Amino acid sequence: MNTRRNFSLALVLLLAAPWAQAHIASNGFLTLEVNGSTVSGAIELAIRDGELAVGLDRDGNGKVTWGELKLKQEALQNYGQGHLRLASADGPCRLRFAPVEVNDRVDGSYLWLPLTAECGRTLSRLSIGYTLLAAEDPSHRGLLTLVANGTAQTAVLGGSADTRQFELNQISSWSAFAEYLRAGVWHIWSGIDHLLFLLSLLLPAVLVRRQNRWEAVPIAGPAFVNIVKVVTAFTLAHSITLSLAAFDVIRLPSRLTESVIAASIIIAALNNVFPRVTEGRWRIAFAFGLLHGFGFASVLTEMGLPKDARLISLVAFNLGVESGQLAVVLAVMPLAYLLRATHFYRRGIMPWGSSAIACLALFWFVQRALL
Amino acid sequence: MPRDRLGRLRSLRGWLFTLSFAVLLSAAGNTAALAEHYVPASDDAVLGEVSAGTRYADVSARRLALARVDVAIPLAQFYIQQSRLSGDLRYLGYAEAVLAPWVQQSSPNADVLVLQATLQQSRHEFAASLAILDHALAVRPQNPQALLIRATVLRVLGRYPEAGVACDGFSRLVEPRLAALCTESLQGLRGHLESAYSSLAQVSTQGWLNSEKSWLYSELGEMAVRLGRDQDAERWFQQDLRLSSADFYVRAAYADLMLQQGRAAEVLALLAGQESFEPLLLRIAIAQKRLHDPALRQSSARLRAAFAAELQRGEAVHRREQARFLLEIEDQPHLSLAAALENWTVQHEPDDVLVLVHAANAAGNPGAAAPAADFVRAQGQSDVRVGALNSPALSASR
Repeated sequence: MNTRRNFSLALVLLLAAPWAQAHIASNGFLTLEVNGSTVSGAIELAIRDGELAVGLDRDGNGKVTWGELKLKQEALQNYGQGHLRLASADGPCRLRFAPVEVNDRVDGSYLWLPLTAECGRTLSRLSIGYTLLAAEDPSHRGLLTLVANGTAQTAVLGGSADTRQFELNQISSWSAFAEYLRAGVWHIWSGIDHLLFLLSLLLPAVLVRRQNRWEAVPIAGPAFVNIVKVVTAFTLAHSITLSLAAFDVIRLPSRLTESVIAASIIIAALNNVFPRVTEGRWRIAFAFGLLHGFGFASVLTEMGLPKDARLISLVAFNLGVESGQLAVVLAVMPLAYLLRATHFYRRGIMPWGSSAIACLALFWFVQRALL
Repeated sequence: MPRDRLGRLRSLRGWLFTLSFAVLLSAAGNTAALAEHYVPASDDAVLGEVSAGTRYADVSARRLALARVDVAIPLAQFYIQQSRLSGDLRYLGYAEAVLAPWVQQSSPNADVLVLQATLQQSRHEFAASLAILDHALAVRPQNPQALLIRATVLRVLGRYPEAGVACDGFSRLVEPRLAALCTESLQGLRGHLESAYSSLAQVSTQGWLNSEKSWLYSELGEMAVRLGRDQDAERWFQQDLRLSSADFYVRAAYADLMLQQGRAAEVLALLAGQESFEPLLLRIAIAQKRLHDPALRQSSARLRAAFAAELQRGEAVHRREQARFLLEIEDQPHLSLAAALENWTVQHEPDDVLVLVHAANAAGNPGAAAPAADFVRAQGQSDVRVGALNSPALSASR
């Protein structure tokens, strides 16, 4: 009977009808945004979790006031230093906390501890170690929202796997790809000099030179071959020098390349007015294309290539340039082909249009080379 | 339908439910995260309250518990009891922290194992709880606490014959009044509700401990509800609350009875000040909805955020509550039915039957409640609340 009595005493603490419902467990919120090599964001802990971690209720009256929270600011920051670890592939990031604030969530007030972490170099992968409240409440979890390049991922931190890796690489190289592709297209459309050079070489592609006169090509075939040759030669040439410059193999002063680009337009345009090279204009396209490549590269140098995604960004930029260029060719050349037999095209556009281009390029040349 | 196909269907339903519920809740999660942080205007602004046992100052006791099992056990018991009374799951985490080093030992103390099983049961980790109890009973077979919790878990799961075995083992080790409580309350679920109720109702509580009385009253209150004896039920609940006013579990059951009777305003009075605990907040929200109380917006936003957090954590502690929330607050009978079916794959309590039948009717698919209906018929269970729903699934004879 003695053991029975003892059990009844234990019952005071334990027994019950099935009790199957309860309040949700403890959650903290970790919001991080990655920008290059910097991570910024905040830790949010329920006030009662903050009490458990560092002791907030200074006067012991069961209520935590804003004044009491502020007094524990340093302790909270130290606690954060001890229980949140951010690291790149190279090693730990330097974590800094800003003054504590308050955030009201639907289930009560949370202390809001802003943070920044400097990780040394552009992050392709972030490792997050979260052991907040782990010793006091193993059921505590950190609900993470991680934003990198406008893409958010969520995860639950804490518990037995207290350190987790997050891949930012794929997201960042994809968005770098898109960004550099756009830059490439934009550059070819806004940097009208490259297009004028190409157009100057393409205008005669729908014509053929006979007895010192421009005549329409009778069928599309030769015109098409001409266009493909010129565009391909130009593309190939500037891709080569763009890559060489982007990887710092060769570097030319921009004043020189810009001036020579202007000169190349003058030459190409004047060749339409006073034809010297009538066959194999693709050679001009290739030769000067090499210089245009250096011109493209100067844009890339200004933008800076992301260190982790150099090649992919370069390829994207180049693809952007090519597609922008191709779009213009596709828009203009069919029109040129249709108009090729007209007086307007052979006597108007060819000499006067080309002269206008040459004049504009001469203006650029003077501006770039001499002023 | 062959078993494996049914299983596959169930898991498909689970996925569909999670998916659609996630979509529904993502908005809630976003608004919760968008809140603006600020610097309070006054140093005296109260940000939150700290309750007993959760002070930083208690850290010395916690440290001591890491070194001494005779400190760890009562401390864990205290936290589990606090959780039971307040309905606050955080206390279970504190208990877990205190027990952790002792559970991981190669030859753990049986009391430590029972406490661990108790907190797992409260978190609805039923399989884990049963496994630990097996371990505890292997260490010490004559262990009434382990047997009682085992009976409790098996009862929640609807495994009554096994629960009966555990109850019998328990009965051999404890005083007759406790044996009767375990056995009769189980009988009440196995087709003998009327006789079990009258047998327990006649018990004299002379010399009983308050905790034992509280157990008795809550069982009697729930039986009376199923019998449709609402006045009796109300009396039992009130008696229990007089003993332990903090008994959150009975308060929720009492609120449900009031809602059943259309006494929404009284629910708000009964649960005033208890908004911080989601299961009670759910009852408050239901009452607010019925009263067209504008405070419903805030209550339901809080519930939505809580369920979103639970979903993100990958836990399903409150699926029954989710089903009720979706049905009675969000007017989403199809999602509610999915949640109730998901809940039914785990839990088989009378309230689980009720929510499933209710959701199936509301979704215009009463046949979906068939699994619960089959179970109720097989056990000979009776519950006037379920009967009142006039489910064709229940009345169809097979």
